[in-house]
Amino acid sequence: MTAPALELEGVTKSFGKIEIIRGVDLSIAEGERHAIIGPNGAGKSTLFNLITGRFAITSGRIRLHGADLRGKAPYQINRMGLSRSFQITNIFAKMTVFENIRCALLWPQGYGYSFWNLVHNQPSLTEGAEEILEQINLTGRRDTMAGLLSYAEQRALEIGITIAGGADVIMLDEPTAGMSHSETDYIVELIRKVTEGRTLVVVEHDMGVVFGLADRISVLVYGEIIATDVPEEVRGSPKVQEAYLGTALEAEH
Amino acid sequence: MTDDITTDPSRPSERMRAGSMVIGKLPWILAALFLIILPVIFPANSAITIMNQMSITMVFALAYNMLLGQGGMLSFGHAVYMGVGGFACVHLMNVAGFFDYLPLPFLPLFGGLGGMALAIAVGSFSTRRAGTIFAMISLGIGELVAACSVIIVVFFGGEEGVSADRTVGMPFFGVEFLYQREVYYLIAFWLLLSAILMYLFSRTPMGRMANAVRDNPERAEFLGYSSRWVRFYSFVVSGFFAGVAGGLFAINYEILTEENLNLTTSGTILLVTFLGGVGHFFGPVIGTVVFTLVQTVLSLETELWGFYAGLLFLATVMFFPGGIAGLIMMHEPAIRLGRASRLIAPYLRCFVPAFFAVLGVAALIEMVFHVRHASVGDEEMSLYWMTFDSHALAPWVVVIAVTAVALALTKRTAPALRVAWHDANTPEGGAA
Repeated sequence: MTAPALELEGVTKSFGKIEIIRGVDLSIAEGERHAIIGPNGAGKSTLFNLITGRFAITSGRIRLHGADLRGKAPYQINRMGLSRSFQITNIFAKMTVFENIRCALLWPQGYGYSFWNLVHNQPSLTEGAEEILEQINLTGRRDTMAGLLSYAEQRALEIGITIAGGADVIMLDEPTAGMSHSETDYIVELIRKVTEGRTLVVVEHDMGVVFGLADRISVLVYGEIIATDVPEEVRGSPKVQEAYLGTALEAEH
Repeated sequence: MTDDITTDPSRPSERMRAGSMVIGKLPWILAALFLIILPVIFPANSAITIMNQMSITMVFALAYNMLLGQGGMLSFGHAVYMGVGGFACVHLMNVAGFFDYLPLPFLPLFGGLGGMALAIAVGSFSTRRAGTIFAMISLGIGELVAACSVIIVVFFGGEEGVSADRTVGMPFFGVEFLYQREVYYLIAFWLLLSAILMYLFSRTPMGRMANAVRDNPERAEFLGYSSRWVRFYSFVVSGFFAGVAGGLFAINYEILTEENLNLTTSGTILLVTFLGGVGHFFGPVIGTVVFTLVQTVLSLETELWGFYAGLLFLATVMFFPGGIAGLIMMHEPAIRLGRASRLIAPYLRCFVPAFFAVLGVAALIEMVFHVRHASVGDEEMSLYWMTFDSHALAPWVVVIAVTAVALALTKRTAPALRVAWHDANTPEGGAA
């Protein structure tokens, strides 16, 4: 049996005396679309930042394809095949859309810290970037400064940057935050399309968004996973409704 | 569905600066021709002295902008890399028999290696962080190396510096570099070569990632790049070209002193680069031309040139953060729309009075300065090729009147210019 794409074992994280993540166990199989949902302040983004190496874990173990991620810097984790997006749109605003994608292809195509290749003379870079642009429907915006794109386009570009490198584990942090319904449907459809055949981990506040997308859903409440199951079971679970929907309703009031 | 989020890409204002990102060969050939004929147009020795100074500063400013503009690293002590490169070169020139093996024109390469060596040493720790920490370390290193000039006398020559003679070498294809003009062509060659290499660097994966790290270091990490190493490599390459500038300085002036290392020189290059515009590759070139002219030509006319240079810098920072290059490139959309010509008349109407207003204000400053600082009994001052009595009433009345009228005219024509600007930047029939 092959190792799970991503495996968390008793992961905890404390900031000072406050324990934000309180022992998370999670195993995500290769090719699975997994969603982590939970109310605001449940620690979703923190968990995300732990997996991607932005924060160091306090205790526990995280494995990517069986390899321990302890002490690895974000760029090293990225080179091991994990790519992420950010909750707040995180693109290169002063570059064109095309250049944003091209930058994401440099390392995976083996250019490294090269200062002897000219980027515009590399057909594989240009073709690769064009192909990604096609996938995220931004071909028409190829030469626009990324900072001038509409919000939804920026989110699409962010997803494009995340998947461009060909990482097999894609982590998306609230990819539809701040979007209208039609925009949300569009982005979810886009995510489904571009992550075909890869392992996907989505963090979402809104259960409705991931319902049609995820194979399995984990519910994170106060730093603990209270349930991991197929969407129908999660939605029907009284425990989840009480913990998650209850707090969500409170938050809205 | 997609129509909801994809705005019309056919609108020119939406397609800013796309093709212009890659410069072809033509501008470089034109630049080369320009550099070749320049001494023919300005054959005077004083002009060639200025052009040499400009060319050296340009190499340095372009190297500096690799850090500031391309890499987003603000250095307050970049003079040390140019200085150390220069010192390395004067010492090499003094090594007996060195030129038996290598002609003078290759010397700047060693200046580059000197600057690069120091940049590797300093960059190994200073590039871990960008922002304030990097800036503070650069300031500290700048002060430290400048202080070393009186401590490590063997290398820096103490207060009198180290001098050398560029003409001791073998003639290079019959050229002995006795004359300013011969040195000019040597420097111009290195300027062009360095500029092309620095431009090409900005088009490599490293150069692109330097931009990416500048804009968003965190995102760059998730593209597989270590932000720290990207900064380090940019820093080292910038140190190399700063060292090349130092080598050119050594050849041109045949002496290096503490002045080449100190914070004033570091501050000046920041000023030059920012004035020209950090956002565009050619910005530092423009900044160098303007600043050198202010420094050399204006300083002959007035003791207060530093004051005006300071004002110019302030105005740039406050009103045109894109620098002069930014001001020029601001016109790109209008030119693309074919409407730039609509701006000419409003520009003339507004900027001609504005020009006189500036002259008038400068005249008042000069007159106040003359009244306050000229020796007793010296009441005659000359300004704008006119000689008059600075203590008499008439010149004051005239200058104040001209300034007031010019200011009023500028103010009156400004709204029309604003309308014209909007008009020139709005596509036909579209509301921008």
